[in-house]
Amino acid sequence: MRLINRSHRAAYAVRTVSPGGELFVASVVICMILASFGDAVDPAMLSEAGLEFALFDLGGEFSVLAMRDSHLLQLLLAGGVLAAGITVLRVVSAAFFKTLRPAPAEDVDKVPIKL
Amino acid sequence: MELELFSAAFLSALFAIILIDLVLAGDNALIIGLVARNLPKDTQRLVIFWGTFGAIAIRAVMAILVVYILAVPGFMLGGGLALVWIARKLLMPEADTATSHLAPAATFAGAVRTIVIADAVMGVDNVLAIGGAAHGSVLLIVLGLAISVPIIVWGSQLVIKLVDRYPSVILLGGAVLAWTAYSMVVREPLLAAWFEAHPATKLVAAILIFSIALGPWYSERLSENLKPLVVLLPALLVWMLAFEVAAGVWKVQVDYLLATNEGEYLLAGLRWLGWLPLAAAYLWLREQVQKRNARSARA
Repeated sequence: MRLINRSHRAAYAVRTVSPGGELFVASVVICMILASFGDAVDPAMLSEAGLEFALFDLGGEFSVLAMRDSHLLQLLLAGGVLAAGITVLRVVSAAFFKTLRPAPAEDVDKVPIKL
Repeated sequence: MELELFSAAFLSALFAIILIDLVLAGDNALIIGLVARNLPKDTQRLVIFWGTFGAIAIRAVMAILVVYILAVPGFMLGGGLALVWIARKLLMPEADTATSHLAPAATFAGAVRTIVIADAVMGVDNVLAIGGAAHGSVLLIVLGLAISVPIIVWGSQLVIKLVDRYPSVILLGGAVLAWTAYSMVVREPLLAAWFEAHPATKLVAAILIFSIALGPWYSERLSENLKPLVVLLPALLVWMLAFEVAAGVWKVQVDYLLATNEGEYLLAGLRWLGWLPLAAAYLWLREQVQKRNARSARA
């Protein structure tokens, strides 16, 4: 028996994990896959192929994304930054779209506009 | 591979070893309690000390042995594939009752022997994982064990509180195990030249490993209609990878841009479209099994 199985929440981690924790681990996994992409393909090859003329320096874009030879701590840090960025983006976009939502027609604060 | 002391690579490997040790740690206290429950109080204290000491010693010896075993060609690949299964098992939400059959020992020697053997059996996955994460460094293994074993033995409540408060630690452990499995597979000496010749397959291998190892996690988030993706996505990657391997082994052309005759065009067509009937057959079979299960449940 594993030590973690003594905790019900830990034994059923895939169900009990918090949204924040899940976002962080998912971001780390994305960074790990990006790092393996960097190991697999040299992004410089893309620019050598002439793609920078076709699509705004695609090779350069991929050079930023592909984290070649990244270590676990760097991936954790990058995952944390990515998760924080996604959270900020979610909060800001939610606030932005909230202001765009029209008030209900029968609301007392509704300004009557008659054409 | 020798890692420079306190470099980013060294600290990352150390962190991976400690995390793996914590999430895969066996419940020594439970085993000792089960085995020594019928012994006199004085003998129980001795059993606790020598059982714990023996378990730590056997764990350290096994971990160091694994480092040397993994250097043998083929074992790195086998270890990597085993780690994928271990990561999957870690994330699988199920009750673990592996020690329920442990019988109480009648003698001191019998109790210590049972504890050490039980720990060795339970710790196989653990030592394999830390052996893979250590990148061949015995120093890292010793340091990792020196930090994590006291935490597990004397601070097990702390570990339980940590994973209870933050279950995401388990998911992170699964991700680190999958990452270690990937690095073991691509470091396999028998495949090194092949991976060099086919660099893009490294990415396919990474996605394949993560999709299998983390399957229990993302399948929980998928609706019932999308659940077959958990099988279909890895199967599709295996299909594509198999053609890449076949092209290398039998020297056949599977790239339709470079095909020159009907046979090669047929092979390219099979590569890109051949999986569709298989996927359809799988979905049909799955539906039939679900219907049969529903019928038997009603009956």
